Amino acid sequence: MRIRIEHIYILAFIIVAYILLPVMNADYLFTIQENNVFISGHTFMMDIVKNEGGWVAWVACYLTQFFYHPWLGSTILIAFWVAIYVLTLHLFGIKDKFSPIALILPTILLFNLLDYGYWIYYVHTPGFPFQPTLIVLFILLCASLTHPLFRRTKHGKFLSNALPFELCIIFLAVCTLTIWKPEKKNILNNHQSAILTTLKDKNFKHEMRMYRAIDESRYEDALSEMKDLKEPPTNLMVLMKNVALMHTGRLTEMFKTNNCGIMPETGDSLHLHISQLAAPLIYYQFGQINYAYRWAMGNSVKYGQSFRNLKMMIRYAIFNQEFDLAAKYLSMLKTSIYYKDWAKEREAWLTSSTLFIQSKEFQNIAPLVNDEANSLDYDEGLCEKYLLEHFSNQLNPNSSKQEDVIICCSLWNKDAYAFCVHFYDYVQAHPNQAIPELYQEAAILLGNAEDSPITLNNFKFDTLVSDKYNNFVNNYNQLLQQGIDEAEMARRLKPLYGDTYWWYYYFYTDFNIY
Amino acid sequence: MKLHKIFTIMAVACLIASCNHPSIPTNAKQESRLPNIYPDYTEVTIPCNICPLNFVVREGATDVVAKLTYPGGEMTYGNEQKVLIDEEEWKEILKASKGESIQVEVYANVNGSWKAFKPFNIYVAEDTIDHYISYRVIQPSYVAYEKLSINQRDLTSFNEREIYNNMSVSTESTGQCINCHSYKNFKTDNMLFHMRQGYGGTMIVSNGELKKIDLKTDETISAGVYPAWHPTHNYIAFSTNKTGQSFHTKHINKIEVQDTESDLILYDVDKNEVSIISELDDELEVFPTWSPDGKKLYFCSAHFEYQNDSIAPETEMIQRYKEVKYDLYSADFDPETKQFSNMEKIFDAADSLGQSVTLPRVSPDGRYMLFAKAEFGCFHVWHNDADIFLMDLKTKKTEELKAVNSPRSESYPTWSSNGRWIMVDSRRDDGNYTRPVIAYFDKSGKAHKAFAVPQQDPNFYTFFLRSFNRPEFMIEPVTVTPQEFAKKAKEDAVKAKFAKN
Repeated sequence: MRIRIEHIYILAFIIVAYILLPVMNADYLFTIQENNVFISGHTFMMDIVKNEGGWVAWVACYLTQFFYHPWLGSTILIAFWVAIYVLTLHLFGIKDKFSPIALILPTILLFNLLDYGYWIYYVHTPGFPFQPTLIVLFILLCASLTHPLFRRTKHGKFLSNALPFELCIIFLAVCTLTIWKPEKKNILNNHQSAILTTLKDKNFKHEMRMYRAIDESRYEDALSEMKDLKEPPTNLMVLMKNVALMHTGRLTEMFKTNNCGIMPETGDSLHLHISQLAAPLIYYQFGQINYAYRWAMGNSVKYGQSFRNLKMMIRYAIFNQEFDLAAKYLSMLKTSIYYKDWAKEREAWLTSSTLFIQSKEFQNIAPLVNDEANSLDYDEGLCEKYLLEHFSNQLNPNSSKQEDVIICCSLWNKDAYAFCVHFYDYVQAHPNQAIPELYQEAAILLGNAEDSPITLNNFKFDTLVSDKYNNFVNNYNQLLQQGIDEAEMARRLKPLYGDTYWWYYYFYTDFNIY
Repeated sequence: MKLHKIFTIMAVACLIASCNHPSIPTNAKQESRLPNIYPDYTEVTIPCNICPLNFVVREGATDVVAKLTYPGGEMTYGNEQKVLIDEEEWKEILKASKGESIQVEVYANVNGSWKAFKPFNIYVAEDTIDHYISYRVIQPSYVAYEKLSINQRDLTSFNEREIYNNMSVSTESTGQCINCHSYKNFKTDNMLFHMRQGYGGTMIVSNGELKKIDLKTDETISAGVYPAWHPTHNYIAFSTNKTGQSFHTKHINKIEVQDTESDLILYDVDKNEVSIISELDDELEVFPTWSPDGKKLYFCSAHFEYQNDSIAPETEMIQRYKEVKYDLYSADFDPETKQFSNMEKIFDAADSLGQSVTLPRVSPDGRYMLFAKAEFGCFHVWHNDADIFLMDLKTKKTEELKAVNSPRSESYPTWSSNGRWIMVDSRRDDGNYTRPVIAYFDKSGKAHKAFAVPQQDPNFYTFFLRSFNRPEFMIEPVTVTPQEFAKKAKEDAVKAKFAKN
């Protein structure tokens, strides 16, 4: 076969598409498929197809599953784009040096997929990665089949006549409108492209990788994402990092491992909330089972059902022993291509409580579920705030893990009074045990405060910690006397005290909960 | 050639027929128990005009066969694990079985060997059921909602269509919640439902004319919430409520929906006037319902005194949620003067039983009342202990309808127009998703085993992630189209006037 210029263009496009999709954005694609759902059977199909454009959405949902393996999903999508390119060339008779025109649509579709950023958590359109591609392909196929000039002649050759170039422009314009994402408001209205988030925001990717690692109980992998960060982590990363520390028994290292989160800037009209990004998983990991379900349900109502939510609902139902409910969700998840093994593993837990109790998941989470009576409350849509306040205010922990969480959350939340109460209880409960360094740091700082409910006279602190605190106070006062502003002070003291609670307490003032 | 075609068609027809009517396995091993079928239609009494009772056999079988034996014939069905009955044949079966029963024998091929289960009966009552029911289709969600619709279902077939769909007017920024549909005397020329938030208002069809009314006045707590059409006059009793939601940290009930304020109003549709029925201090009045002659109004009310001025009423309500218990009241009503009198407590649930009763509904003959009862609160759809009870209004005796209840929540009881059928919202399947179930209520006042409203695909309820809320019987379909409702919804609501009693 003779290599023509058209082949070179499409080959270049394929290479770029592979680089931009599975090579650079595998986590992005995986997360997209996890926020999608496809359930085999008549009920799910009818639920989708009865809406406008339902058949396309149903097929798109089916295909989106394949992003579980980003290379596979990308290959299918790229194959469709190649088909669009070929059809456009033939339909409009585009040749040679003009052939890049036929790449306009595949390019728009490629960048359209990358132009979601954090919107992947908020999109209502089922199967959105494939929907515009399928629609464009459908239009082209219809045009090809109905355009008489495109039919084969008696001699088996295509006629050279093609549709006018003006039609090509109109077609491109129509397709561009088709690819429009209504959820993203108006691109022309000062919309800053989410492509930048997708391609350049490292925290966005860290978050996705950490989520998956925690979801799969790979806590060490989640922690490794926090190493060597050049930019401040997001609040969600900090939350997930602390989840990983909590389940690996190292929660007291919280302030040694960068606990100063920021709110991500999306650059457009999107208002991010952890509730939508990861609340079900976070609540579950903290043993707040009912809230995990509440947000899995809430998010699936608002943004459509997803494998991610379905998994969380199953976890909830098993944990709360609502086995009929779990069986219902499991029967749905078992119809999927890539989550059926996950479902089958959980299904076995329904019939064998031993298997469930021995599971890593149960052993991690159960110690966090408090024995105290049920109560009614409300989280105001702020998962992080709720968790910090809930644990800060909790008394009578029923496990050492919970004890650590309670104390650490009061520190994380800078709730001095709550910490002092918990610290007192902790020391009383462990009279002959060394007090963790973090608790000593915090007690020296907060126990001396005027409104502290405890006095420090009866507690023995390590000399090293006491001396370090005195040095911190001296250094702090010196810089203060020199008239150094707080930001500069934070920068100068960070190398010496950045891993202490004191530094967090004084200099992390930008705690924006979202 | 022509003959060849006829033979082919006949062969295909025979093939299809043989698939629809499989043969009975001859070597089946007899089991002493009933088969595990879903929905559970064993030993139920059904109306003589209902659609086929398709079911799935949950015995881990690869193939199943069900033999239906009825007066004058028998029929077999089976399609893998499902028993799907042809609609026309089912009509014939019902016709022949009216006042009699259908015996069902189920065979299942489990691991290559056939089992024959203990046969069960389906009793066919001589009484018909209303052709239509309607319900709100909604995810059992907490605060969030997206797509909601009120649908009507023809019980004599599997046909279902939307009465109204909120997405027809919802936008990205303006969502709309719809709730509480109600009909006058089971007919649809006088009906209503309420819309909240985007394009809010109460949609009222009055003698076929569609109106959109804003029932909120300066003198009342809210727009109308729980409605009840007066049976003889063009009045609607509503509750007005200030409602909030909070969440259980551990309990599987998950949600509490509470009214911090609650009163009753009467809306005169012709005069577009709202007046107060009851707004007593320290009383939370709700769930009005009329006697069939329209001379009595029944409702529920909880006595609740706020004790702590230093916190918001909502906060105190959350803290003391288990103390909120509703009793059952009645009041005489003069439709000519619109005056209420002789308000009396007819069922003391709170003090005597430590329980809370809600959602009363009087039978069309005025003899009985159904209501839901649980330990506390007003939103029994989220209370696993909620059950349906029956009160004989003559003797005031109450009894639990055990045949209707399950270990999980039952709520929203309602009567068919002939009083022979009860419909209830039940979470018996999984505790989370409400399904309408129907039970026969015979002339002696006995309720029979409840069964789920049949679906074409018997696995439908398993795979459907929405609830069917507030099921209501109708004797005719709603004729206003969803488009007409949507068009009216986009118009401004007409403000109701307040009239002092």
